[in-house]
Amino acid sequence: MSTESGATGVKRRDFLKILGVTTAATAATGCSTEHVRKLIPYVANPDNTVPGVSNYFASTCRECATSCGILVETRDGRAIKIEGNPNTALNRGALCAQGQAALQGLYNPDRFRQPMARKNSQLVAITWDEALATLATKLGEVRSKGQASSAVFINQHEAGSFPAFLDSWLGDYGMPAHISYDADAPASAIAANTAAYGVAWPELDFDAASLIVSFGADFLDGWGPTVPLQLAWADARAKIENAPRAIYIGARRSLTGLNADSWIACRPGSELAIIQFLRGNGTAAAAAAAADVSAATLDGLKAEITSAKRSLLLAGGNGADSTQVALEVAEYNKALGNVGITIKPASPFGVYQRLDVTAAVYNVADRMNAGAVPVLFVRGANPVHTLPKSVKFVEGLAKVSFKVSFTNVPDETTEFADLILPDHHSLESWGDAEPTVNTLHLQQPAMEPVFQSRATADVLIEVAKKDTALASKYAVKDYRSWLIGRFPGGQSAHTVALATGVAAASSARAAARTAGDLGRKPVAGFGGTGDFHLVINPSPTLGTGSGANKPWLLELPDPVSKIAWQSWVEMHPMALKKLGLMRGDLVTIETAAGKTTLPVYNYLGIRPDTIAVSLGLGHKSQSGKTFNTDGDRKVPFHTGYGRYAAGVGINAVDLVSGDTDALSGGIAYSTMKAKVTKTGENIDLITTEGSARQHSRGIGQASTLTALIAARTQKEGGHGASVGGAATTQHDGDAAQGAAEGHDTGPKEWGGNEHEFVGGASTEFRKGLKSPVANDAQGDLGDQNSKDMQMYSEKHWSGMAKRRWAMTVDLSRCTGCSACVTACYAENNIPTVGASWQGRALSPTVWDTRPGANILKGREMAWIRLERYFEGAADSENIFDPGFDTRFVPMMCQHCGNAPCEPVCPVYATYHSPDGLNVQVYNRCVGTRYCSNNCPYKVRYYNWFGYGEPDRRQYAFPEPMHMQLNPDVTVRGKGVMEKCTFCVQRIREAETRADLEHRPLQADEFTTACAQACPSKAITFGDAADPGWTVAKQVEDERAYHVFEVLNTYTAVVYLKKINHMVEA
Amino acid sequence: MATTVKPVTGRIKRPNIPAAGIQVPGVTSFEQVDDEILATLKPSPKWFIGLGLAIFAMLIGASAWTYQIYWGLGNAGYVPPVMWGVYIITFVFWVGIGHAGTLISAILYLFRAGFRTTIYRASEAMTVFAVMTAGLFPIIHIGRPWKFFWLIPYPNWRLLFPQFKSPLLWDVFAISTYLTISTTFLYLGLIPDFAVMRDKETNPIRKRIFAMLSLGWKNTDREWRHFAKMYMFLAAFSTPLVLSVHSVVSFDFAMALTPGWHTTIFPPYFVGGAIFSGFAMVWTILIPIRKWWNLEHYVTLNHLDATAKVVLFTSIMVGCGYLSEFFIAWFSGVAPEQEYFWNRVFGQWWWSAWILLLCNMIFPLSLFSQKLRRNPTWLWILSIIINIGMWYERFVIVVPSLSHEFEPWQWTGYAPSWIDMCFLVGSFGWFFMWFLLFIKQMPVIAIAEVKEIVPPKMKNDHGGHH
Repeated sequence: MSTESGATGVKRRDFLKILGVTTAATAATGCSTEHVRKLIPYVANPDNTVPGVSNYFASTCRECATSCGILVETRDGRAIKIEGNPNTALNRGALCAQGQAALQGLYNPDRFRQPMARKNSQLVAITWDEALATLATKLGEVRSKGQASSAVFINQHEAGSFPAFLDSWLGDYGMPAHISYDADAPASAIAANTAAYGVAWPELDFDAASLIVSFGADFLDGWGPTVPLQLAWADARAKIENAPRAIYIGARRSLTGLNADSWIACRPGSELAIIQFLRGNGTAAAAAAAADVSAATLDGLKAEITSAKRSLLLAGGNGADSTQVALEVAEYNKALGNVGITIKPASPFGVYQRLDVTAAVYNVADRMNAGAVPVLFVRGANPVHTLPKSVKFVEGLAKVSFKVSFTNVPDETTEFADLILPDHHSLESWGDAEPTVNTLHLQQPAMEPVFQSRATADVLIEVAKKDTALASKYAVKDYRSWLIGRFPGGQSAHTVALATGVAAASSARAAARTAGDLGRKPVAGFGGTGDFHLVINPSPTLGTGSGANKPWLLELPDPVSKIAWQSWVEMHPMALKKLGLMRGDLVTIETAAGKTTLPVYNYLGIRPDTIAVSLGLGHKSQSGKTFNTDGDRKVPFHTGYGRYAAGVGINAVDLVSGDTDALSGGIAYSTMKAKVTKTGENIDLITTEGSARQHSRGIGQASTLTALIAARTQKEGGHGASVGGAATTQHDGDAAQGAAEGHDTGPKEWGGNEHEFVGGASTEFRKGLKSPVANDAQGDLGDQNSKDMQMYSEKHWSGMAKRRWAMTVDLSRCTGCSACVTACYAENNIPTVGASWQGRALSPTVWDTRPGANILKGREMAWIRLERYFEGAADSENIFDPGFDTRFVPMMCQHCGNAPCEPVCPVYATYHSPDGLNVQVYNRCVGTRYCSNNCPYKVRYYNWFGYGEPDRRQYAFPEPMHMQLNPDVTVRGKGVMEKCTFCVQRIREAETRADLEHRPLQADEFTTACAQACPSKAITFGDAADPGWTVAKQVEDERAYHVFEVLNTYTAVVYLKKINHMVEA
Repeated sequence: MATTVKPVTGRIKRPNIPAAGIQVPGVTSFEQVDDEILATLKPSPKWFIGLGLAIFAMLIGASAWTYQIYWGLGNAGYVPPVMWGVYIITFVFWVGIGHAGTLISAILYLFRAGFRTTIYRASEAMTVFAVMTAGLFPIIHIGRPWKFFWLIPYPNWRLLFPQFKSPLLWDVFAISTYLTISTTFLYLGLIPDFAVMRDKETNPIRKRIFAMLSLGWKNTDREWRHFAKMYMFLAAFSTPLVLSVHSVVSFDFAMALTPGWHTTIFPPYFVGGAIFSGFAMVWTILIPIRKWWNLEHYVTLNHLDATAKVVLFTSIMVGCGYLSEFFIAWFSGVAPEQEYFWNRVFGQWWWSAWILLLCNMIFPLSLFSQKLRRNPTWLWILSIIINIGMWYERFVIVVPSLSHEFEPWQWTGYAPSWIDMCFLVGSFGWFFMWFLLFIKQMPVIAIAEVKEIVPPKMKNDHGGHH
């Protein structure tokens, strides 16, 4: 951080951060925890806490091992929002949905509120003194019996100092090093990287590549360090001219596949044949036969790779031979000279350092079953949920006499524990992480603990202090002191570093563990019987299940299928036809390992001989026993990962044989053949998707590079045609493909052609954004009455009408990851509505208790939603056409200059602010819902129930989740309409701040929550009337267009066309 | 009964109004009129049963409303973006019903249509109660019904006024004006009848009440002259309202951008539909009344025949409206409009559109047959068909349009829920409760007007024609 940042002095935010640090350092934040209901002012104000002003604490995200830098916004001692830390090179201010949702882990109502112990086979609440004494006694017993060397500690994988600390502690007790387990880790890639490049995860430079080929490497779906990879991808693609073309090879088009320009739909398990052909082993014909694609396609692929200036080949996948594929791909990368240019082992990520292979946990299960494990410690990891049944982890647990869990939520594994010592949430803990080489991200508590939890490291220190032999070694006060003691420069340097959250590191790097010989036999090809290959993939939003207790993530539709609160099986329409199935039909899927029943989702992006199921859901109580996370019994019993997760979806791991990829030691998920049988039942898919096609209405527009350049030339040649228009008319995929596929049911203007539409307003189309509001809808276009009121006059004393808040969304950057959606939920107190108790009444006394019931009725409240439209490839049951294009369109209130919603509200609850916002006044709204009817974009959301009313069953913020609510934003009552406000609270805060500091608002000084979170940097917000702002330049981009421009709504949101990089035929 | 309309002859009170001998041959004297019509005011077991059922149904609606205010609107069948559903459909339905009354009492009065004489009182009462029913629905429909008064422009220190550009506000004015005028009109016509009831009443308290209600009517020439002028004036005054109210209601839709709503044909089409449904409702009510209270010689087959012709005419009118909507959708060349109309008739919502077309366009064609026009049973059945059809007309306008708008990502479905149905049932309960109470308190056929066409007894009058 720069405390002296040049001419402008200390920035406000930096100043706040310093304040925050000081506050944290003195550990004197006046944090209120549970008793926050009454508005009682501080008697003695804690230092540096100004009521109503946020403090920001730089910390590190621990939701996955990537360890992005975060800024935790706290208000009056409570964390209310997590933002990416802009000071980090790793995530540059961006943060994914899971990171945003860490707050709901912090405030999860089902967290253990105090330690618990099993007494008479019941878990009961105990005190920390009791708990520590029990642990110390048990450790003493284990040591005295000489069993310490057989103890097992399974820790949720994390990068940083804690693993080393833990190992030294374990060593002091004579126990072996812990097992660092991460069910989400891409085992095959890690193993291959380690073998080929010597690092677990090299830096991938998408920017340097001109061609990206992914063999099932889902780098936008959570494969590897998500946010850094997504940033790199988006930056590369945003170059437009020299942007890399991307080809995806795999049986199922994942989110990454949908973002690629081309898809080679090979048979699952045939990737090896393809890479071997590419490397010169075997003929195209043989590889094509194995992969079930045309030889010409493979020849073309080879030609593209060899002729590409610089390529980047990635291999992911979780099949039986994925590591072998990845190794071959790595060799090919070396042969192509990509290593050091697009793949940089010299600057590796720390994300998977010291990760143990999953087979090591298998090994533990075997030892447990043999009765060889006297004591088991688990922290954060949930092997009972994430491991296949055949591993017999549950059976093994029964043979372990003492099980200690440090996990702070009642997950499936913790259910079996004899002693539960709930760890602090990461936002309450000290720590650090080494995400990339020589950088350290520091982690500090953003607030006082919500519950009576304790940091595991502190617990370990305290227990050691009870041991006379170890007491001297653990003389430090707590883990924080231990960390500071190791920090170069000590306390003062640490405090300074905490301000930015980033420091330089020079610690030795532990490499990821390799598989070695763990006694597991490799499997070959797809095993079992059945007509379909079963592909199992981690969910892009829920991973392998750790996010499922957070309603934000459950409510976030899957980026590919757009299904929420439900599991589904993806099948191609051809497969549906073959089995006589319809969308939503329940089918039984049977593999050699197990069977389950799932509804069918008809998906164009999967091979007809393949079905796909996502991991992440299906949490349920394993023991069948229930216990109470709250000693006071204030809340009902919750097991199976808490009230939100329990009973939602199925766990796809139950379909997995448990075989491992021998080379990586990771679970070989996709190795099974599956039998699919119709049950005859049909249920509703809980989806937010209406139509998957945009019916030539030009919502998500795309063009090709050739067309763009042609349009530019035309413009330079003085033909005077609108650039965007020309590109659209000639080459837009909508019109051309739509016509070819018979989708073109409407005239062309709905395809986005500005030249033909009604009213001929084409040349004016950005008028509303080139000028302040005073010259626009409420001025020139407005009525005399508005003009007379002077509010919308540039001369009005407020000066508001000089501004025009606007937003651009670059569809070439947007990957559809949906982080913006969760960021919006967090910032704007948007209620989630899908929990099982939030449904509607089916009769005066019977309630719909299906999870997601409200979403079935289309009542999700996301102010910004990710529309996912398919273009091309007819929805035919008779052909398989992998050549379709996907358009991801973030759709939020367009803040129309000429808004249809405004004049229809009978009570003026929605009106136009002088600075271009379409304002919704909740207090004035009576709920006629006319505004929504008249909104062409359908971005207004209605409070059907009292989601914000604590005494209604639909209440969306059960204690303590209400502590997350942003005090700057009203919690809406039932019966009012709400919608995207362009984060008006942030606008006003920035304006007020500028006013107080007697300076004008600076360009790009602040941004909206969605734009801030976006890991693709696709969203830009600002004042379009002030040329200093980035958005003012972007609205003039040659790719710019408005959605439904033909309606003359003069929207303030401008989309920049997606550019597809196709090989010219 | 020889009831064919004959050329007007003999003594007539007003030009073009057929005399009783022609219009109501079964009615010969003032005493008969008084006795027979006032006989309807006597309570009967049937009436009590009917009222009981109506109150029960009304209570279903009232309980549903309490429930809804507590929990929110989420229990209704709304599937966003279908933000308007059964409540608005039922609102428009009842406003439509409310049209026939004023049309009959005002416009047909001005047009000197004789067949209005015996049916106008019932239809006018029906109008008032239908508008009272309709008026509840916007309040039921809004999310915060306790704030409904914010739609009324009342002076307040915050200087907050409603948005005068909003068609919903126009609705408030249109409906309240219409309710005021139709109530006044109903009352005005009742004044001489209240006088009759006063004269016949023996209970002193009731007599006093009727005396007050009749405003001390003394049956003088001067009173009659003023009465006739006032009646004519109000008829003229309310005539434009008949056309404007439903036009304004149609603006709720026509002023919006929504495909399927944004069309200029809505005002005439809505007015036509309203008259159509209003007359159907008149049948629904009057056909049982004339049978159960022995008024068949007042509301004769000739009257039913005449109303059937109005129904046939308005049916053809709305039919043309439906067809021109399709034509314009095609002719406009606007893709979302075209796709919406395709979806309405052949897509997701085909069943509702075909219910509408069958009920409103096809079945009423049976009225080309004179035999069916004069068959009360068929007319009553047809009236139910038309009521269903007209409810579905509003369904087709409201729901499929909203479910299939510009934004394909937000295309959706809709199904009413149990609570929607409670309100629908409750609305009928509420309406019939008022109507049943009305027919026990006030004459359901205008005594004074019937007397106008009945020749007064002359000294040398032997009842025949001269």
